[in-house]
Order: sequence, then structure tokens, then C-alpha cells
Amino acid sequence: MLITLEKILLEYDPEAKNLLPALEKISAVFGYVSRENARKVADYFSLPESKVYETASFYDLVNIKKQPNLIIKVCSGTHCAVSDSRKIVEEIENKLHIKAGDENNPRVKLEIISCLGRCGEGPVAVINDKVYERVTAGGVGEILEEWI
Amino acid sequence: MQNSTKIITQHWNDINPLKIEDYLNVGGYKALHRFVKKMSPRQAIEEIKKSGLCGRGGAGYPTGQKLEMVGVSGATEKYFICNLDESEPGTYKDRMLVDYDPHLLIEGVIIVALSVGAYKAYIYINGNYKKQKDILEIALAQAREKNFWGAGILGSEYDLEIEIFSGAGAYICGEETALINSIEGNRGEPKLRPPYPTDAGLFGKPTAVNNAETIANIPWIISQGGEKYAKIGAACSPGTKLYILGGTVKNPGVVEAPTGITIRELIYDFGGGLPEGKDFWFAQIGGASGKLVVENELDIPLTFSRDCPIPLGSGAVLVVDKSVDIHDLILSWTGFFRRESCGKCVPCREGTFRLDEIAGRLKDGKISDRDKQAVYDILWTLNNTTFCPLGKFAATAFSDAISKLKILGD
Repeated sequence: MLITLEKILLEYDPEAKNLLPALEKISAVFGYVSRENARKVADYFSLPESKVYETASFYDLVNIKKQPNLIIKVCSGTHCAVSDSRKIVEEIENKLHIKAGDENNPRVKLEIISCLGRCGEGPVAVINDKVYERVTAGGVGEILEEWI
Repeated sequence: MQNSTKIITQHWNDINPLKIEDYLNVGGYKALHRFVKKMSPRQAIEEIKKSGLCGRGGAGYPTGQKLEMVGVSGATEKYFICNLDESEPGTYKDRMLVDYDPHLLIEGVIIVALSVGAYKAYIYINGNYKKQKDILEIALAQAREKNFWGAGILGSEYDLEIEIFSGAGAYICGEETALINSIEGNRGEPKLRPPYPTDAGLFGKPTAVNNAETIANIPWIISQGGEKYAKIGAACSPGTKLYILGGTVKNPGVVEAPTGITIRELIYDFGGGLPEGKDFWFAQIGGASGKLVVENELDIPLTFSRDCPIPLGSGAVLVVDKSVDIHDLILSWTGFFRRESCGKCVPCREGTFRLDEIAGRLKDGKISDRDKQAVYDILWTLNNTTFCPLGKFAATAFSDAISKLKILGD
């Protein structure tokens, strides 16, 4: 069944406390909050469109730009950092010929992210929504093959 | 050592977190019964004050005092928020708390919310903790079925609604005013204080915000009494604490131990020391915002007191050995604060950005004399002029790395 924006919005009463949860849900379902959808959210919550964008643009779990199909995230928290997470980033950069933090590649995005609270199992990488634990630079190739 | 008092972790591993019956069988929700049948809200807060319990999120503010400020307010609408937005790097104690004993937390939330006179409680959970959110939802449904929350709790006149609010991935939302802003549908930027949330918090109403670990101590305090609690651990900030051991230790993980324990005891007695062939270099206490500790400081006891030279912070203990590339860790700190600075105030927005750039040049061996001078200015500015404590946090470890590890030379 097709999920439409209207259906998502109906799950939430138009109160201030539901704005962020609704934006999170929209971003999770459609990949990002488009201009058109932001306008509909603004109407539904009786807020100016600028206010919706103001909130949406702040949070890591809400995207306001169309996302590439492949999103690779590598944790750089203190625990992962001392177990060589930077080498993992370099390995992915070399293998895919991309740069971490480049927002303009329409195909793939490599992000260095903050701690996910999985420090006991680090270094941690997340591809789309799949979590990989105890990743090594040597194991990067095998993981990427699942996706490319 | 191993049979020291356990408060939070006492039933970890021997109960099924998804079964409320297991929690009831080990005496769960007895504190709630006691509170509802035998105590007034004021007596409960008095008991918490007597216990000396202080905030486990890192700041160490006396919990009883905070609750009293909200409790005595005559406002008809008040809120209680349990802060489970754990996002300090290297910290996952609150996640474990939900994984192993969610009802302990819920029981604490109910008791505290009722004692401050709130009809509505929020559990603000880190947006990345999806599994833990599911666990809490199941546990909350079970507790509601037993009439532990909802309307007319256990036949009394107490009413309470509990809602889970999922954060959206912002470290700064662990700061209570920023957290409140995000529930209100705003950007998660901190607010100017005063007014404090205890006077005008969520939607302008008196609000108590407490860390999840703090709350998990409450059922024990209500059942066993505040005086007994006050005898555990260091006198200045009694109780136990969850410590998160990581990095180069034999047994990483979460352990519960009294406050006032030394860093050496944590690393060697609980963590089993360093693996063979690794030499201790330093430890970082309290996550990315924590201070660095070198060999001759390992016997400092950890407490929440302002006089404690090493703040306990979130309780994370990262052990670093001499084989680690310090530049990786420095970039982890500076990159983290650059990403997580909310951008509200210039000193933090610019300072964290420039510090990260300089850290990058330091790693590449391209650091100039001008950078070395600028670093001191930036660190001073972060430490003294930012709007909220995040700026200070961003400067702490870097400053220690300069003074104790001589990363810029002597």
C-alpha cells in the first residue's frame, strides 16, 4: 500500500510537540522532507513554512535534501576513533573514489557521524540502515560488495 | 569488591526485560506501592533529599532539590522529563539500563513524576536507540495494564500519562533547555537561564528533567530509605554509578560501583587492566568532553563534587595505550564538537570549526606557528564565553592534551 504524506500526517495531532516526530517520520519514509511536503506540513500544523524548515534543518535524523541511494556512515566517537575508524573512512574513500562529507555526489554519500552508543562493538559503520560492528579496514571491501 | 552494593544492575541478566512478571517476582513496583499507599509526595522528595542523590547525567546537581523546586510550585500543569538522550561519545549506560531492566526505569519515572505533581511525563530517548524505544513501549504497555500508570493508579487518586519522545540526533539536546526546545517543535538550541526549567520549562510550565540513571536509583531509595543510600560511596555525592570501560582494557563494558572509587581501581580491578604488551598512556574520563588523566593521577577518587579535580561526567572511562595515534582521537573530539555545535552563539560555532581545522593541520604535520598561537585564544574563548557548556566541553580535552601530552611540544 502506498504511503502518502497525508496518511502520515493523520497519525499526528497538529500540536507543537508532534512537529519533530512527524518530520522524522516523513524523512524516514521518503528519504527527505521536500519543499512541497514541507509546505503541506506547515499547513497542517498552521505554521509558517520557514518555521518548519527552521526545525527540519537542525536535526541529523531529518534530511531536507534528496539523498543518494547509498549512504555510508562511519562512527568517529572516541571509542571507535582509538580502534582505527579513520582508516576505515580512508579505505572507503579510496575504494569508491569519494570524499567523506561530499554532499554533491548523487550516487553515494560517506558521512563521519557522532557516537551511536554501540561503543562496546566498535568500530561501527552503518550502510543505509544496516549496522556493521567491529569493522576493520581490511574488511571494508567485503562489506561494500553487498551494496555495489 | 565484586559483592559491593548493586542498585541498578542487581537484576541484570536474571530477569527477562520483556516480562513484567519477572520484574514483579524480584520485588519490582513495591516502591511504587509503598509510595502510593504510605507516603505523601513531600515525604518522597524528603527521602530523596536525604539520600544525597545527585544528577548522573554529568552535572551532579542535587536531585532532591530540583524535584522540590517543581514540587512546591502551585502551578496546576507541571511536567516531568526523563532524559534518555544519551549521546556523549563512549557512553551507553542508559541504553544498557533499558536493554536489561526497563521496568526499573519506568517505576522510577512514575514515582518521580507523581512526587513533583506532574500529570504528564516524557521519556526523551536518543533517536538512534530504536530497539530500546521498542522495549520501552512494550514495558510501558505492560505497566499500564497493571494500572501502574494511567488513571487512578493502584486505586488512588493519582493520574499520570507517559509518552516516549524520540530525539532526532542532536548531542546538544541532552542539555535540558535544548531538549525542551526540541519537544516544543523548535531547533534544539539551549535557552537563556533564568528562568530555569523548574520555574518555566516545557510549554512554559514548571518541569523537572532528570537523567535516566538518576531515576533508576529512585525505587531503591523509596524502598530502603534515603539514609541508607547516603551511606554508600563518597559522602559528597553518595550512591553507585554506572561506569563504562572501554579502549585498551581486557574487560570492556558497563560496571556498577560506588562513587569515590579511584580510576586505577576501575581500570585494573574491574577492567582487568590492559592486555599483554600494551602500555598505559592516559585515560579520558566522561566521554569526548572529559578530562585526560595520566599515570600519576590514577589514584584520584571520582565524585560529582565541584572539588573533585577530575569530574566524573557521564562515567565513561576510555583507556588509551601508547600505540594509539593521538591525532585520530583529537580529530574525533574536534570533529564531534564541530558537528554538534548548534550554531546559536559565535564563539562556539566558530571556535569548534577553527579548532577542528587546526587539528587537521596538526595531523598532516602542517601546523604553523600562527596556529599554535591561535589555539590558545580559541581554547580560552570556548572556555569562557560560550552560551552553554558545550563550548567548555569542546576545549577541555584539547587543553589537557596540550598541557599533559605535549601535543604542541613543550
